[in-house]
Parts: sequence; C-alpha cells; structure tokens
Amino acid sequence: MKSMLQPFTRRAFSNLALGALVAPAVKAQSLTEITVHYSQPHVFRESKEAVAAAFMRREPGIRINWVTTPNYDEGTQLILRQAVAGTQADLTYQGLNRLRVLAERGICQDLTPFLHREGSAAEQGYSPTILGLGQTGGMQAGLAYAVSTMITYLNLDVLRRIGVEPEAVSTNWYGIIELAERIARLPNAPDPIYYDIGEWAWSALLYGHGGQYMSGDERRFLMESPQGLAAMRLYQRILRDGRMPNLTTPAAQQAFGAGRIAIRFGSTAFLRNVIQSVGQNFQLATTIMPVIDAERGRLQVGGSAGMLLARDPVKQEAAWKFLRFSTSAEGTALMVQNTGYVPCNQLAVDDPRWLAEFYRGNPLFAAAMRQLPITVAWYAFPGANGVRISQTISDNLQRLVESRATPEQVVQDMQREVTRLLPRNT
Amino acid sequence: MSSAVGLGAIKVTRGAPIGEALAGLMLTVPAGLAYLVMLLLPTMATILLAFTDYELGLPDWNWIGLGNFTEMFEDRGFGVALRNTIIYVGFVTPLSILLGLGIALLIESGIRGRATFRAIFFLPVVSLTVAMAAAWQYLLHPTIGPLNGLLRAIGVSSPPYWLSSSDWVLLSLSAIGIWENIGYNMVLFLAGLTAIPRELYHAAEVDGTKTWLDRFRLVTWPLLGPTTLFVLTITMIRSIRVFDTVAVLTQGGPNKASEVLLHTMYKEGFTFLRLGYSAAITLVFLVMVLGLVWLQTKALDKRVHYG
Repeated sequence: MKSMLQPFTRRAFSNLALGALVAPAVKAQSLTEITVHYSQPHVFRESKEAVAAAFMRREPGIRINWVTTPNYDEGTQLILRQAVAGTQADLTYQGLNRLRVLAERGICQDLTPFLHREGSAAEQGYSPTILGLGQTGGMQAGLAYAVSTMITYLNLDVLRRIGVEPEAVSTNWYGIIELAERIARLPNAPDPIYYDIGEWAWSALLYGHGGQYMSGDERRFLMESPQGLAAMRLYQRILRDGRMPNLTTPAAQQAFGAGRIAIRFGSTAFLRNVIQSVGQNFQLATTIMPVIDAERGRLQVGGSAGMLLARDPVKQEAAWKFLRFSTSAEGTALMVQNTGYVPCNQLAVDDPRWLAEFYRGNPLFAAAMRQLPITVAWYAFPGANGVRISQTISDNLQRLVESRATPEQVVQDMQREVTRLLPRNT
Repeated sequence: MSSAVGLGAIKVTRGAPIGEALAGLMLTVPAGLAYLVMLLLPTMATILLAFTDYELGLPDWNWIGLGNFTEMFEDRGFGVALRNTIIYVGFVTPLSILLGLGIALLIESGIRGRATFRAIFFLPVVSLTVAMAAAWQYLLHPTIGPLNGLLRAIGVSSPPYWLSSSDWVLLSLSAIGIWENIGYNMVLFLAGLTAIPRELYHAAEVDGTKTWLDRFRLVTWPLLGPTTLFVLTITMIRSIRVFDTVAVLTQGGPNKASEVLLHTMYKEGFTFLRLGYSAAITLVFLVMVLGLVWLQTKALDKRVHYG
C-alpha cells in the first residue's frame, strides 16, 4: 500500500508544481474555456469536430469542452437539470422543437441584441425562414445549425427487378403505392415500403395536405379537419396497400440496409448511417418526398439550433463567437459535408464556392435540398404537456399501424386526448 | 486506521461501558452518514416531491396534496404500466425460478463439466443488459433475424414481430427477463443444495424412498425452503424493477404495450419533465417493493425454517 502511494503523491506534487508554473503563461494568453453541449454524437460528432477545428485556427484563445447526450430528449433534460444546479453549459445545441421548453423557463439568452451587433442578418446568410426556426417564446432563442426533412430512400436493385428506372419513380403517393403492389408480387419479395413510425415523420402527411396541428392562435387542435382526416386516410393506404411491415424504426433501418425493404421514407439526418449500413449490398438512391398538394403542401423540418446559455460576459462572448461561426457559411458547409443535414446558412446555399462541388460529387445529399423552399418549422406544442402530446399522437398512430382502429376513430381519439392535454384557455 | 480505533475501543471497554457504547456509535457513523445522505434524505425528498406539481426547470411549484395520486388512477398510461409490470413479474418469477432450480439440480447431479455449465448459465447475469439487449434486438428482428429465419425454414409462414407487435412484445421481453434471471437463481439454488446434509438422503433411502422424485419431494424441496423463499423475493424484486430492456428495445411501445412502472416513472420525470408526478409513481413502486419484503419476513419466513 505504502509503496504504491509514494510515487503517486510525488507525481501529483510535480504536477502541482508544473501547473503553478504554467498558470501565469495561460493567463497571459487569456485562454477562455467554454462548455458546449450537443445531442446525437453518432450523427453529429464528425461535423462538430470539423467545425471546432476550423474555429480554433481562427480563435486560438478559446478552448471547447464537449458534453454530449445520446438524443434530444436527454439533451433537454441535461440542460434543465444543470440549470437547477446552476452549472449549465455555455452553449447548447437543442432539437428545434425543444427550444420552447428552455425559452419558457428563461434558461437561454435572447440572441436578438447579439445579431444586431453583427450588422444585417441577411448579409451573414441568416434568412428570415432560418431565423424563424429559432424564434419562440417571443425571442430569438436559438440559431438553426442543422436542418433535416423527410426524404425517400430507394433500393434501385429492387426497382430494376420490376423494370422501373430511378428517374421513373413516381413523385405522388398513388404512383408509389402502385409500385409497392408490384414489388409485393415479386418472388421472394422484400417488404415494399417503410414509412418511419412516429409523430414527427407522420406530420409530413398532414403538412403535405396543407394542414396544420394547431390554429393560428394556438388554442384549437386541428386534427379533426379535412386535412387531418385526409392525412390519416392516406397513412392507412400506405400501411395497408403499401404492405408496410410493423417494424420499429431502428429495425427498419437494419432491414433496409440488408436489402429487405424496397422504399423507405425517413429523415435525411440518417443519410450517412444509411449509406454505411447499405455498403455494397445494393445501389442506393434518394429523392424528394411524394408530393400531395403541389400548391399548399408543406414539409416540416427536424434538426437542431444553438442556444446561448452563458451568463458570464467573457464566456458569453466566446460562446457567441462559436455559435456564430458554426452557423456561418463556412461552419454550415463543414456541417453539411459531415452529416446528411441540409445547410441553414443562405450564403452556403447560394455561393457556389461552399457546397456546389460537394453536391455534384454526392447526389444522395441533394434530395433534401430540393425540398427546402416548402419547409415549415418543427412544431412544439404549447404548455407543460408539449412533449406528452407528441407521445399521444405517436401512440394513436400505432393503433393504425397494427390495424386496430380506423382512420376516423384515430382522428377522433387524438382530437379528444390532445385537447385535454392543451393548456386551458384563459 | 480502522484497526487502531478498534484497539482503542477494546481498551475502553474494560473500564467504562459508556465508552464502549460511544465507540460503537462512532464506528457506525460512516455507514450511518452514507445511509442518511444516499438513501434516507433522497427518499424523504421524493416523498415530499410526490405531493407537489414540480416540473424540472420551472422556478415555482405548489403543494397539490393527493393530486398526483388521483391523477394516477385516471391515467391510462399508469394503469397500463401497472398491469404490464404485474404480467411481466407473473411470467418471469415462476419460470425463472423453476428453470433455475431445474438447471441447478441437473448440474448438481452431473458428474462432468459442472464448472463449465455453471459458468455458461451464469454468463447472462454478469453481462451488461444494455449490450445484450442489442444482441436480442438482432436475434428477434422480424425480417432479417435468425429466430424468424429458423421459424420460416420449419414452415411458419408469418412468424411474429416479436418486439413491435403489441400482442407479443411483453412476452418477448419476459423471455429476455427469464434468460437474465435463470443464472442468478441457479447459483443461489446450487448454494442451497450443497448445504443439504448427505446423511438425510441416506436416511431417506433406508426409510424406503426409491425414486428420484421421492427424494426430491421428501428431502430436497423441504430443505431448500429458505433458499426458495429468498429466491422468490429477490426474483420478484428484480423483475418488478425491469427497465433497461424496455428502454433500449421498445421505449414502452408499441402504443404502451410494453410500458412498465419504472419506464413510466422515467418518462414522466425526464421526458415529460413532471418530476412531482414521477415521484408519486416512485412512491407506489417503493410501497410495492416494501410489501414484498414484508411478505418475506413476516408471512412466509416462519413456515420454511426448521429447527
């Protein structure tokens, strides 16, 4: 015991001594350390590290300590817990529908004055649409960093077996369901269609009909509406006539990678993972989501936005610099090349020097880009039960997936259950 | 360090009994402190929270009395979770005890490879559930998993969607739970079996027991009584605590078909951020576990001990 202790203490002492020597030098350089949190490292790690490396070349005086959580849910929990203890990170990247929770609890800083200081937002590439994704609770709560949409993943080998070339794949649901019926008749047929299960993915059908979850004043839930019912009936057709298997989304991702699903509808955020899991199994292509209403149809986005939490002025400044850089044209270009997400910064989209070459070389990434003009924000339900409402919708959708209820019943039940969870009108 | 204190205590004993008591108290201080800080205070805090509407991150909260508990009675999610937990315990407890006992008897009566079999069956206990859940997810995959591949090969045309069908998901999770618990129960039974005096078997033989079943019925089973009672309680508590497989494999889905108490508690508290309600569920859970322990110590303990 003793003999083990001694060298340890000696080393600790020498470390202390070294630290004492180095400390003044560090001070002279005025090194600022900031803690930055983000979720889904399996999706984002490479992009964050690429952005940080470029940032540190420019700002050698700022050092970044990373904190990650596996998913957006746990990301919000972490920040809330830390806020209670008063030890929150200086900057956090949260799911776009989680901004509301943090903004309503007064945990984040309003970014409006910071943006004003930097001059015209448009000149820096922050379009009104992109700024809008970060506005909630009456403030600029965040700056969108990465945006995703639902896209169509195609197994070209299966499509060729029924004699359909990728260019000929229909862009409306009737055509897709007809394709599915033909695929199902193949010998040793794979499952024809998989549409990711859950509230977020499903809402593409509602927005596609030109519908919305809530009335403009956020008082009335609009599931019992022509668009809501139409979306639910279409969903049933996709499930039943498309012969969609009742898989969980991770299981479906594996089955698609193994070539056992022909057409999958899911977020472009998974693109890198899909490319990896497909490997050399078959030829993969992506395209836009089938169009439902060409004029009024919209598509919800997913993704994350950076929120400034730091209160200490020095850290606040450093964290803002990193947030600004990560959402600039340069940061955005790095993010796009290292994930499957769509660029948020308009300069990165418009100026060919950032991403034009990347999209030419990686056409799989372009599907989501083509849908950008029709996107709407990732909606967060109001009040304390916001997240619970999404869960209620998902649970009811599952009844349709297992054909345990009709679209009409599901719409009615959702309307009743969600209305009960909304804040009482005052 | 501790031995020095021990010596001191002994010296004091000779002269003054008060000193002895004091030293005794001193010795319990570390454990007492740990108990207070890690167990008692958090439990008290949870009990207080259960009567509030506290939400994670919100600055203010109110006392709402029994509000959380009345809500629980109306909450479909809680009702389903309670029912599912009871069903899960109902499957896992008897099956993992019976199978654990069976395997222990087989290993005990075997001549070769005892250590190997013990190790094989004990492996699930020492392996990390979360990692194992990923393996199960692959084994049970409806379309590309080996289990359904096997079923199709022997002529089952549409094998179940184990983890995504609301009819099957609880059974599938129970099967994983049984697999997890068998090894643990087996080891406990093996310990119990070695403690049975050999002479009793000889005596039973002299008294005319012929078959294996008689020996089991008349000697092994009664003498395993205390072990069985312990195994029963511990398995019930372990299976009522089911959480990781649900969190990794199904997240309570599809449509709450695999929602269990601890997962509901987690979801209410940390996904929906309603810590007050979550604390109330924790209390219900605590009462259930304490009830089981009480059942062991009071109601059954007397019946299984001999001499």
